[in-house]
Amino acid sequence: METDKLAQLRSGDPILFAELVRDHHRALIALTVPIVGISEAEEVVQNAWLKAYQAIGSFAGKSAIRTWLGSIAINEAKMQRRQRKRELLFSDHGDQNQNTEDCLTQRFTERGHWQHPPAHWHMDSPESLLTGEQLAECLERLLAAMPDNQRCILEMRDASGLSFEEICNALTVSASNARVLLHRARTQLFKLVDHYEETGEC
Amino acid sequence: MLSCRELVNHADRLLEDDLSFSARIAIKFHLLLCRHCRRYVKQLRRLVAAIPFMHNKATDEEVDKIMDCIHSHRNL
Repeated sequence: METDKLAQLRSGDPILFAELVRDHHRALIALTVPIVGISEAEEVVQNAWLKAYQAIGSFAGKSAIRTWLGSIAINEAKMQRRQRKRELLFSDHGDQNQNTEDCLTQRFTERGHWQHPPAHWHMDSPESLLTGEQLAECLERLLAAMPDNQRCILEMRDASGLSFEEICNALTVSASNARVLLHRARTQLFKLVDHYEETGEC
Repeated sequence: MLSCRELVNHADRLLEDDLSFSARIAIKFHLLLCRHCRRYVKQLRRLVAAIPFMHNKATDEEVDKIMDCIHSHRNL
């Protein structure tokens, strides 16, 4: 974020803050759903925005703004869960298997060489890679069908940039299990984009 | 030598710069020789950079609701 814009934001400029809400609100909802459930995520994120607005003056800009907001939302979600004495919805059962089975397995020969190597992707910018109309629809379907625990780690680590330490702390999952889940989630996305780039369909 | 399958399994840690010295050397050596894996790592890196942008922007209604809530708390 540019220095001028950051200074303006830190002074509490409501127009800039509203832009922040527009850009990050959906990601924060996705981040908190696995912790508090879909019915409470909206309330949790609303409280997180309030806290963020009150604390925006102290945002130093050292981390990405999404990561800063994500940490506030996660803390809010954890607090709500404790207050309401709810069980954590996240479960890493069924993923204790530490082997590296993922959705790219069939693209290798038995000896581990590429049988179907990745296609060449035409990419202009990170912003545009996943937002093409057709791909965005397929991505939405893929995310909806993805096991909750994989989606949860993907949202926390890749969409919000939280550290593995924060993730493990919020979800009581081991770092090695979190890494396996993240790998599986990423390879599903890779396969989707790769197929789309190769065939124009998904 | 590391297989392509193994390289793909280690690629996440490569992106995080979280590998032992020997694992990093093995991966760099493999990448030197294998264009498919070079492409995989390059595109995985771009995919990971794109993930923060995968969510749609909030609607006017959603933004207004949050901003109204903030304004009402400021006026308390």
